[in-house]
Amino acid sequence: MVQALQLASLALALAATAFVLVLVLRRVMLSREERERQAVEERLRDDALALVDGDDVALPELHRHEAAIFARMLARYSRQLSGEPRENIARYFESGGHIDHQIGLLGSRRLWKRAAAAATLGDMASPAAVPALLDALDDPARDVRAAATRSLALLGAAVAVEPIVEALAARRVQRAVGGWALMQIGAPALTRLRGLLRHDDSAVRATAAELIGLVGEASDSAELIGLLRDPSAEVRAKSAHALGRLGAGQAAAMLRGALGDRIFFVRAAAARALGQLADRPSIPALVHQAQTDRFEAAQAAARALAELSPAGLSTMAALPTGNVHLREAAGRAEIL
Amino acid sequence: MDAVRTAFDVFGIAAVAYFAALNLTYIAFTGLAWRSLMAHLRARRFSGVNEALASPLTPPVSMLLPACNEEACIVEAVHSLLALRYPEHEVVVVNDGSTDGTVARLTEAFDLVPVDKALRDSVDTRAVRGAYVSRREPQLWLIDKENGGKSDALNAGLSAARYPYVCAVDADAILEEDALLRVAKPIIDDPDLVVAAGGIVRIANGCIVDRGQVLDVRLPKSRLATFQVIEYFRAFLVGRVGWSRLKSLLIISGAFGLFRRDAVEAVGGWRTDTVGEDAELVVRMHRHMRERDEEYRIEFVPDPVCWTEAPESMRVLSRQRRRWQRGLAETLWKHRTMFGRPRYGTLGMVALPYFVLFELIGPVIQLASFFVLPVAFVFGMLDVAILVAFAIVAVLLGVLLSVAALALEEFSFRRHLHRVDVVRMLIYAVVENFGFKQLVDFWRLQGLVDVVRRRKGWGDMKRRGFAALTPVETIRLDSGPPPSESVPVVSASESVPVASASGSGRDRAVDEPVQRPSEFLRR
Repeated sequence: MVQALQLASLALALAATAFVLVLVLRRVMLSREERERQAVEERLRDDALALVDGDDVALPELHRHEAAIFARMLARYSRQLSGEPRENIARYFESGGHIDHQIGLLGSRRLWKRAAAAATLGDMASPAAVPALLDALDDPARDVRAAATRSLALLGAAVAVEPIVEALAARRVQRAVGGWALMQIGAPALTRLRGLLRHDDSAVRATAAELIGLVGEASDSAELIGLLRDPSAEVRAKSAHALGRLGAGQAAAMLRGALGDRIFFVRAAAARALGQLADRPSIPALVHQAQTDRFEAAQAAARALAELSPAGLSTMAALPTGNVHLREAAGRAEIL
Repeated sequence: MDAVRTAFDVFGIAAVAYFAALNLTYIAFTGLAWRSLMAHLRARRFSGVNEALASPLTPPVSMLLPACNEEACIVEAVHSLLALRYPEHEVVVVNDGSTDGTVARLTEAFDLVPVDKALRDSVDTRAVRGAYVSRREPQLWLIDKENGGKSDALNAGLSAARYPYVCAVDADAILEEDALLRVAKPIIDDPDLVVAAGGIVRIANGCIVDRGQVLDVRLPKSRLATFQVIEYFRAFLVGRVGWSRLKSLLIISGAFGLFRRDAVEAVGGWRTDTVGEDAELVVRMHRHMRERDEEYRIEFVPDPVCWTEAPESMRVLSRQRRRWQRGLAETLWKHRTMFGRPRYGTLGMVALPYFVLFELIGPVIQLASFFVLPVAFVFGMLDVAILVAFAIVAVLLGVLLSVAALALEEFSFRRHLHRVDVVRMLIYAVVENFGFKQLVDFWRLQGLVDVVRRRKGWGDMKRRGFAALTPVETIRLDSGPPPSESVPVVSASESVPVASASGSGRDRAVDEPVQRPSEFLRR
């Protein structure tokens, strides 16, 4: 028994010592690697910047790890650039076979390698990667799909709009990342988003309506107004919200009608939109909603009234019929 | 005599079995945490935190800050919350009947003025005396209410919250500027599934803090606080990461936790009759979801995001540990019907039994051996050689597990950059086995006694405030920004005109300001 415990002690002591040694070695190694990286970056920075400027650069012979540091440096630069300098960087990566290498890595069995490749392709700025990145939107791993979405946005790939919206609607890409990506793609995304307002899937229609509210124009309001009668409450609410953001004055009458929707969050969205549109004819309906509706819808109506008529709101809030939602909105309006 | 020997033998076998089971669990958890952390670190590169920051689709969050006699740190805490990098958030401070200058300090610092505020009636709270909004920071609210405890204050914040997610934060917590983004990441990823997420809490004593930000991570000067640094590594990097991996996370620290508002309302908010309200809420949410067969997740984010002040005196630390143990006991007792029930999955079958066996009654078994062994020695029933060998194994295992937790930190977040701190931590990882751990077990045992004696209340925890903890004049302002892994991203709108408007820059006249892309990058 004692012998067994002694052996266990020895093993544990050795393991603990090994851990400590590994920690010390790792610290030393990381410090050395960092120093090396800084030295290589310092040495190659002028070449990298000349390449970004489009100058003819005769790069020195680089060892493998130096080439990797150089590539990382250019990828970092590309995130901060657009236009011709970014194209210069893309040309470097294309001519060096880096793009093909990364596309090959998208087929790796290891998730993190696929995700790293998908992210790196965006930084390498080459449009040649777009088809492979579109395929990566169907990757089983969410991290890979997110990285591919981000890269497609950085590449400004309008062709990716539909797959990204579908992925967003199906929750295969995070809302934050997908929304950011479509805003990055910008105007080219708009045409395709408009088409998606008639999609069979209500989740796709809702997502498209929401995004048009963010990147669209007032001329998009006609289709959105039609969606205020959509069978899906989510679509109706997103459309109302988008119409408010776009400042679509011609939607006011329909939005006033939406204040009577049977779903509370549609009523709340309609109230917010009417406030944004400064639609004074809706004041009586908004007062009624603020006084009688459930919490979220009443709050939205009171806040809308604060935008429409701060002075009128103060008067109404002071009346015996003025409830706490009206008083809160009036108080805030006075202070802010 | 035979009966005593038999009792001793039984105790010996039980103690060895207990020791083996406990340490095997710790070793398994260390392995589990290792895998989990490495996967998390790889994913962090593609986590899309910057994209989430720039995205209008990131869900807005109401930060809830309960405050009772927090005049020493409340203004700094609010500054820290307002400065968080997040697309849209409001801060709701709930003054829980403070008798010091908490409200006065807030009013002065943020120009608060009284307003009417509509409150939801989904959760009952003590009477709200008034609400205030800041003229300077329109997203800052103060709810002033009668004293009812932290849970009651959180419930009042829940009633006042405007957004669909609420984040409970302690007044003495310092959050990293992207803390909210990081802890919201699981919710951003899976808004339909994730109902709560918690972040790691670290000890700020000794760190250099300025304007609500940790600028330089250092070990505390206090020995007691340094022991707690090692403890926190084990608890968060090993324990919580492991439990989260098993989908059985039982505790989201009260210092920093993010919840879906409707999920908290559905279970009735924070309970006011326990001192372990953070763990109790999480267990209740698990229970609620599982009893309804709803798919859900409660996630732990291991990024170091929240820093807090650790007790530096024995008196305060003992009170804290006794309170934690009481809270654990109360939570486990309230939810005792979940034990061993397959309906509750790994939570009922593994996590709760573990917490009862090793966390709740662990101190009893561990400290009992200190009484049993001398008795056995007196009666000549003890083989001293075996005892000594066993003690050495126990200490070495303790050291190994602590060093493994340190290794996890070194291989993952590596926030302690000063070599001398790493050496000190290694020394403390050894020394804590000779007294500190036993002391903590003793306090936990006292906590159990408090439960039996039905003792209530929180005890006091005097805050020194971070300005007092870290002399601001020692901040090296020339040392540049704190180390960050993220590359600063210049938005397209900033970069396009500067970098591409000039093209290659070769066609420009000599006297024009040169705007080659490389110059932009050099800047």
